[in-house]
Amino acid sequence: MVEKHIENITEDEAALYDRQIRLWGLDAQKRLRASRVLVAGVCGLGAEVIKNLVLSGVKSVTLLDHRTVTNVETCSNFLAPHDAIGKNIAEASRERAQILNPMVEVAADTSNVKDKVDEYFTQFDVVCLCRCGREQLTRINNICRQNKILFFAGDVFGFFGYTFTDLQEHQYVEDVREKKEVEQEGKKQTIEETKMVKRTESFIPLCQALDADWTSNKYASQLRKISPAYFIMHILMEFASLHGRIPDPARRNEDEVELLTIKNALLEKMAVPQEKVDNQFAGLVFGQVSPVCAIVGGVLAQEIIKAVSQKDPPLNNFFFFTTLDGAGVVECIGY
Amino acid sequence: MATHVPGIFDEKLRGCVASCRVLVVGAGGIGCELLKNLVITGFEDIEVIDLDTIDVSNLNRQFLFQKQHVGRSKSEVARESALRFNPKACINAYHDSIMKSTYGVSFYQKFTLVMNALDNRAARNHVNRMCLAAGVPLVESGTAGYLGQVTVIQKGLTECYECQPKPTQKTFPGCTIRNTPSEPIHCIVWAKHLFNQLFGEADPDEDVSPDSADPEQVGDAGQSALDSETNEHGNINRVSTRGWAVSHNYDAKKLFGKLFNDDIHYLLSMDKLWEKRRRPTPLEWDKLPSTSVSENGEGLIEDQRPWTLAQCRDVFETAVRSLHTQLKGKPEGEDLVWDKDDKDSMDFVTACANIRAHIFGIPQKTRFDTKSMAGNIIPAIATTNAIIAGLIVLEAMKILQGRTNECKTVYLNRKPNPRKRLLVPCALDKPNPKCYVCSEKPEVCVRLNVEKTTVRTLEEKILKTALNMVAPDVEISDGKGTILISSEEGETEGNNDKMLKEFNITDGTLLNCDDFLQNYTLTVNLIHCEKLEDGAEFEVIGNIDELKKAQEEQAKASTAAETAANGPDGATAASSVMGSDDENDLVCLDDENDDTKKRKISEDGAQQPRKKLRQETSEDDIIEL
Repeated sequence: MVEKHIENITEDEAALYDRQIRLWGLDAQKRLRASRVLVAGVCGLGAEVIKNLVLSGVKSVTLLDHRTVTNVETCSNFLAPHDAIGKNIAEASRERAQILNPMVEVAADTSNVKDKVDEYFTQFDVVCLCRCGREQLTRINNICRQNKILFFAGDVFGFFGYTFTDLQEHQYVEDVREKKEVEQEGKKQTIEETKMVKRTESFIPLCQALDADWTSNKYASQLRKISPAYFIMHILMEFASLHGRIPDPARRNEDEVELLTIKNALLEKMAVPQEKVDNQFAGLVFGQVSPVCAIVGGVLAQEIIKAVSQKDPPLNNFFFFTTLDGAGVVECIGY
Repeated sequence: MATHVPGIFDEKLRGCVASCRVLVVGAGGIGCELLKNLVITGFEDIEVIDLDTIDVSNLNRQFLFQKQHVGRSKSEVARESALRFNPKACINAYHDSIMKSTYGVSFYQKFTLVMNALDNRAARNHVNRMCLAAGVPLVESGTAGYLGQVTVIQKGLTECYECQPKPTQKTFPGCTIRNTPSEPIHCIVWAKHLFNQLFGEADPDEDVSPDSADPEQVGDAGQSALDSETNEHGNINRVSTRGWAVSHNYDAKKLFGKLFNDDIHYLLSMDKLWEKRRRPTPLEWDKLPSTSVSENGEGLIEDQRPWTLAQCRDVFETAVRSLHTQLKGKPEGEDLVWDKDDKDSMDFVTACANIRAHIFGIPQKTRFDTKSMAGNIIPAIATTNAIIAGLIVLEAMKILQGRTNECKTVYLNRKPNPRKRLLVPCALDKPNPKCYVCSEKPEVCVRLNVEKTTVRTLEEKILKTALNMVAPDVEISDGKGTILISSEEGETEGNNDKMLKEFNITDGTLLNCDDFLQNYTLTVNLIHCEKLEDGAEFEVIGNIDELKKAQEEQAKASTAAETAANGPDGATAASSVMGSDDENDLVCLDDENDDTKKRKISEDGAQQPRKKLRQETSEDDIIEL
């Protein structure tokens, strides 16, 4: 992947990125410096991902969103100013994103991700989709697979969030500590050495991960351990495709009822017991709660950084966060 | 603001968030993220305090600050930037130290809850005590690299920050530093000590000249060691390093000759030291062996390019000259303070450490790596801080909703643990009934030599630094109520240089120590001890039981090398990873390490079988940096 045109880090950059170069090394920083990222869906989660990536020093970040700034959006997207209500949200968020780091090219695109043709995505090394329906997620995932583009997706609904990663065949290095016995000054001593090891990790497409068969032997046995958040994600995707919108705080009561109806039907269809998802969830998925965006956006951006710098094992393939149990869980589903 | 839009939160939560008053302590890496989350969520009554100013190296993660803010107050700029997210919020910023007496118990009582976004243990300890005294819940946090942690502290319900002893900074025995270094860090510590001897505040514990009282050498001192007079500390009775430098007008060439040739010849004369070690090679200013540099430095940043010996010497010469000029520019009696961000200070330490490393056949370190080690830099990134700040607000919401019993300690791991968790919630522990801070009658044991410990050491190093009091009053529990230390200025200054013994303090004497600001009273049980390991001045032991345990362990260990001495403050010893950097975002590595034993998995309620737990933690939960 990004082996092309790797430029050296200037002394100014070295001073700015000092604390992170000490963590992930100069090579990782150079790879970051060369990567072009698309973030589609400039919502609360998108804003967190954009902030983290612009700070980290990637080459460019493009903000893509056709929607306008609303009151609800300013409750989570801190990049969109309050006096921009009614304006395009990608455009309105660009300036604050740019100010975070003048060394990164930040661009805004006001078109609908739906209307973007295959070729559009090939100008990026990384595509990250937020606030995106199932149909577009799988379409763009396939485009990325065909063009060897690193694919990420994620969303936050109220107090719940998820991320998904598809890096196809991903090569990375990992520092591994090894204990070694050596003779020193006549004494036997154990010393620890750090070795760099090359590894490969394979990923599957999103549609395959979403269509896991819970009646199969493999998944039925795992059902007890799997995070309920996987099913909450399905319920929300279903809600969006049925209603053409996500749950609306202004229609909280009716939407809660509808979410429970969808849950019953969907879990039955998937042959998953109803108690797998606590009904409480329906009251916790409105808006995008800022601290949850920070958590999920932090994990998502770190995974993007990891992937482009080709350092450390990526999370394969879902990450879920829900306040129901307060845990952040990595699930590998669909293989 | 989420509270402005009905339907995002349930009505109860919406009410609590909008009406509560919070204190954010620290506006650095975690603090910036936290303020953003708070304001966007709809917290509208916030006070933030930070004593620090903005540096370029903050900008990769402290996103409320930009280049034009460098040098300005963190709390004030953070306030301005955060207000843009919600101009209606009321944010009060203090550019100040939270440890000042201005911020007493009544200050804390104004708040519904306090959130720590700190980077050092001293301030954490202090805020912990203030919140206990004020009865205000505290959300505590920390990050280090990819790792982070959030926990909740509430008096009587949970462990406080000081319930479990924290491992102290790693220190190195004096003779390793002075006589027989074997690792790069030994040379770096030596070079920092040398800096203080030459240009800074000299500390007798930081002598850099050969130590002829090395236990390995005793009984058979080398010829020249016999020839010179040695004083009781084992230092050769010659002028101090500083005096020597002054009398030679800080001539770089002569200093080089003394440090890297004469002193090394002296060490060579202590032949016992070299029976099983590689002998050091003295160096001469104009006859330096040509060292080839393994990497050509292509593509590296300047600080990562290794230096040849000749380069080290040249940098040494320039740095000594500049530092000498800096020192002369200071008013009489003032010294330089070592600072990793000062070019000359850092050049000096890098050059000296590498020259010394070469002499002892130790691998050299680049200026970049030397800075990490000498400056105790804890690497910090935006994503970890963002995640931790998010978790802080979620715990805070539980407290506001009256669900404190559901609060958790949450760890951010580098990799998922065997239960696939990247963020691991664990049940909060009950308070330690023997905690010397939050228990009903706090008590602590301190081992020291009453004949050799001054009242000043008791106050500065033991009560203030190790036990984290701010302005202690100390009364001897001798029936007469003798006042040993008063927090009122001038009242007991005359006692400072006297030994504890002069006040009839003996083994078993109890001291009643009181800190008015922290509303904290501590009984200190003194245990007399002729000599502590590694020349430590004192040792703090939680309580009598722990003391016994410690003594048993000591008896077992034949050589207690590198025993953690609750010694002088962090500045004296440079440990490579554990220490907190005064400007970084936190230290939780230490917390994390000693918390592993209590990582229980909350949802199961009960603790897992120990064996399994240990396996889990050793495999995946903790990744040391």
